[in-house]
Amino acid sequence: MFERFAGSTRNAVRYGVEEAQRRGDRRVGTDHLLMGVLRDADSAALVGISIHDARETADALDRKALVAIGIDIGDFQPAVAPRKGIRTPFTSGARSALSRTLVHTTAEKSRRILPQHLLLALAEREQPDAAATLLSEMKVDIPELRRRLSGDRP
Amino acid sequence: MTDDVLAHIAATDPATGLRAVGALHRLAERVEAMHVALARQQGWSWEQIGDALGVSRQSVHAKYGK
Repeated sequence: MFERFAGSTRNAVRYGVEEAQRRGDRRVGTDHLLMGVLRDADSAALVGISIHDARETADALDRKALVAIGIDIGDFQPAVAPRKGIRTPFTSGARSALSRTLVHTTAEKSRRILPQHLLLALAEREQPDAAATLLSEMKVDIPELRRRLSGDRP
Repeated sequence: MTDDVLAHIAATDPATGLRAVGALHRLAERVEAMHVALARQQGWSWEQIGDALGVSRQSVHAKYGK
């Protein structure tokens, strides 16, 4: 499946897997894929947010959720040791987004699967999807992002 | 009454509640990683760490060993 991925796109997915492991998640979700893409400078510029913004926002969403159920961890933010030697599977949402990526590649008649195609697939996700939640929390203008990513095509 | 009701309402939104479950899991993973490292530094065996966590020595070692 990853043969037609451009190096930068393959990296984005790999960084996404790393991110899931670093955060202590059991599966790679669309939010991790989004963070993986944001490690690419061009993609981050297109979205208008940095990987650091995304990580902080994800942490803030976690904190808010914990507070809502009565748990306040304050400043406690222990460093994470990544899981070793464990193949982390994708969530069903992430698998969907990855296959949708190919649709965008084809629509653009591109020979290679580029990070912007993955970004388009992630930008299509709807709440309560993890990437959609993250993008919404960071107040990213999704219609504007999709316009920027796909040029003037409908 | 207001604070309790508000707290209850906030907690019953499943998007928030399920996110909290995920956050608890992520937090547990981080605390586990931190304290497994500390335990090893202090000379605990993988077996002792496994017992403390309620998992097998093999699974702790596979997860954190070299």
